Amino acid sequence: MKIDDDLNYTILSNNINRKFLMQFSEYPIIDELKFSELKNKIEFHTSKRIVFNNSLYLLRDYEKEEIFDLLKKQNIKYINITNDIEETIYCDYILVYDNNNLVIEGKKETILKEEKLLKKLGYGLPFVVDLSTQLNYYGVFTKIYYEMDDLVGDLWN
Amino acid sequence: MELSNLDGQLIGIVSDDFKKEEYSNKLVKDIILVKQNEAIKMVKLDKDVLSKNFDDLSSRDQNKVILASKLHDKEIILINFSKGMITKDLEYFKSLFKKISTYNRKIVLIDKNANLFLNCVDNIYVISNNNLIFHTTDIFDRVLDIYIDPPKIVEFFHKCENLGIRLDHYKELDELLKAIYRIKS
Repeated sequence: MKIDDDLNYTILSNNINRKFLMQFSEYPIIDELKFSELKNKIEFHTSKRIVFNNSLYLLRDYEKEEIFDLLKKQNIKYINITNDIEETIYCDYILVYDNNNLVIEGKKETILKEEKLLKKLGYGLPFVVDLSTQLNYYGVFTKIYYEMDDLVGDLWN
Repeated sequence: MELSNLDGQLIGIVSDDFKKEEYSNKLVKDIILVKQNEAIKMVKLDKDVLSKNFDDLSSRDQNKVILASKLHDKEIILINFSKGMITKDLEYFKSLFKKISTYNRKIVLIDKNANLFLNCVDNIYVISNNNLIFHTTDIFDRVLDIYIDPPKIVEFFHKCENLGIRLDHYKELDELLKAIYRIKS
């Protein structure tokens, strides 16, 4: 996998096992942690990139946002390996795997337009992207939203 | 807290009190002991999983194995079952849970992901330090948001209500879209 130093990645996988994680062994890999523990890890993290192995599972949305803000502040880039399509909205670049085979990769905005493929693979779309995509079909919107507040605001204002 | 005393047939629980069972270093065939082939088929695993070490599986498959091992229990308790599951899995297992619960079996889902509760559980409890803190039968109950992030569709309704827009509480995107379209057109 070719890594661009300036990008944050999400790897969507439906089979995150030991074998799959081996390909990222050159980076420090963080497993599932509670918020305070994860925050602590990041605060004392020394390398420029970090790999999350479903690390955010236990976190509330506001805690995830705080983690991503902290990473930005510390100038640490991440690779977030997850099964949760909702977590893709935070990153720059997405790689989509199906049973350890890379199916598609690209910028977030490009990949999240692949509605049929993502639904066929079983990941679906992030709710806010799905809703705005459908509302585009209905002619209510002409763009895709990544933030719920923006979508709700534009929908009713 | 005795979970079997809680009201409901298919229960959602928000809690940090419970720890997952330990299956480390075990082969899957030594975990699923009753009607192995039937059980792995029901949770959508291949037969070859039986010879694998539990630790070598993804969280998704580990959770499927745990469910398969409990399929014949009178009371099925699953802790963070949603971990590793993709959207399509959750939809499948929700319908499986509903089906199982009709055979007078109790299913208790202790989970961090409220999407697992949506269109699935009949009661939701919040338990902390062995005390019952909160109980609701309505996933749209705003008090629940204090303890767990609501499913995104519920969050959407709450944000609309904050702007004074009241919509019926649809649980499916298709129904929601039609309702929005009716208002906007």
